[in-house]
Amino acid sequence: MTDSAPAASAAATKITVRDLHFHYGDFHALKGIDMDVPEKQVTSIIGPSGCGKSTLLRIFNRIYAIYPKLRAEGSIELDGDNILAPGYSLNRLRSKVGMVFQKPVPFPMTIFENVAYGIRHHEKLSKAEMENRVEQALRSAALWDEVKDKLKQNALGLSGGQQQRLCIARAIALKPEVLLLDEPTSALDPIATGRIEQLVEELKGEFTIVIVTHNMQQAARCSDLTAFMYLGELVEFGPTEMIFTKPGKKQTEDYITGRFG
Amino acid sequence: MHSPYLRRRITNALAMLLSTLATLVGLAFLAWILWETLRQGISALNLKLFTKITAYGEDGGLANAMVGSLIINFVGIAIATPIGVLAGTWLAEYANRTKLGESIRFLNDILLSAPSIVMGLFVYTIIVLPSTALTHGSTTFSGFAGGVALALIALPVIVRTTDEMLRLVPATLREAALSLGVPQWKLTVQVLIRAARSGIVTGVLLALARISGETAPLLFTAFGNNFMAINPMEKMSSLPQIIYQYANDPGESMHALAWAGAFVITMFVLLLSLVSRLILSRSKVSHD
Repeated sequence: MTDSAPAASAAATKITVRDLHFHYGDFHALKGIDMDVPEKQVTSIIGPSGCGKSTLLRIFNRIYAIYPKLRAEGSIELDGDNILAPGYSLNRLRSKVGMVFQKPVPFPMTIFENVAYGIRHHEKLSKAEMENRVEQALRSAALWDEVKDKLKQNALGLSGGQQQRLCIARAIALKPEVLLLDEPTSALDPIATGRIEQLVEELKGEFTIVIVTHNMQQAARCSDLTAFMYLGELVEFGPTEMIFTKPGKKQTEDYITGRFG
Repeated sequence: MHSPYLRRRITNALAMLLSTLATLVGLAFLAWILWETLRQGISALNLKLFTKITAYGEDGGLANAMVGSLIINFVGIAIATPIGVLAGTWLAEYANRTKLGESIRFLNDILLSAPSIVMGLFVYTIIVLPSTALTHGSTTFSGFAGGVALALIALPVIVRTTDEMLRLVPATLREAALSLGVPQWKLTVQVLIRAARSGIVTGVLLALARISGETAPLLFTAFGNNFMAINPMEKMSSLPQIIYQYANDPGESMHALAWAGAFVITMFVLLLSLVSRLILSRSKVSHD
């Protein structure tokens, strides 16, 4: 009952999900997901609470693997390599796939160190190169002008919206190919949310973005493709305009129009 | 005014009254203890207390006991801190929600409330007796043995606080660091310990406060010494042990010295508590 191939997409496929199942202990959370995420576009995943949308996102960088009793079956190919294969290096995966979480979680360090921390683990850079790289990341995250005079200050002193943009800067500083956003604006006020959405728009030329959101307007505003999930299944997946104007499935229509959720 | 509202106000006032009274009772005892130690010890509170040793009896001071206490406490904290922080980290980061981790956490809680005299006897058996046998009696009781006994009391406190402070660090911080590809050990050392640092330091200070008043574990280990001892392998005096000894003495001026010693320890513990509160409140400010 799933459409794996988005119709109106000319872009190359970045992530190919095939027959993906996920279990939390005895609970069968994802039931055979097939999905093709196109390169350098914004794909949003919507659906009611508990439908498995965050679960799906958290498999894309295998962050779920830090908890016991969780298991994924099936395949997720990133540029043709199955990231669920035991031989696939987590280090490699996480340098290619960055993630931003629901609540902003800056590290207890300076603003500069927050961005430099991840880079340092993957690359050896000179002081000047590092400064350049951090500036670039902060500029891309539209935060540079606000923090350039206080890079040595503790990141915990920033506002919530600034902290979230810092987390985006931290993720894109590693130059990933894919950026996963797990309800990135649910803890932010409308103005900060607006800036993040604008940022997503700016970043999509450079990264493949997958965004999980509770907010249907947000999905409609900033994504090229939308996936609707319900009870662990991918009900419908296609161009955002189509999903929101003439959905192919009754369930999608009911959700979009607010008949349940 | 209708009655349910009135009833709520009366209940509220009553609860407020009771909790204020309870607080006052607690504080009153504390003030009483502080006042009594100060009042009783004031006649012995003079420079002699810090310069003369206990060998002079009622004409002497407590210098060797204070130095001994500092050395023994230092040995105790120096042993307990690295072990405690590492064990707490292991419990929180590597063994959390595993059977082994849960059992060790449970055992640690038992150790936390074990009678301190048991620690003294334990160290007497594993350190004092063997060292007596090995050195044919030239080393027996020692400041070091006392330090080990105190370390065993401080250890579970430090394990517990480290464990709890690390588990208070939000899971999302872990996920955020891991999602950057940072390995678990770097995450633990560079991010988590840093996030929980002030709590861990506070735990160590509270453990120090806890052990600096311990008497029983020192009786069988450090034993006591009326002369100044700096070498931890020698018998060593300590404030709590001198207080115990002097309080049992019939002489009035010895009692005053014991009170003065008690006052010094109390002030030391008060200072430690204040410092740890300061550290905690500072870190809270920087988190907002």
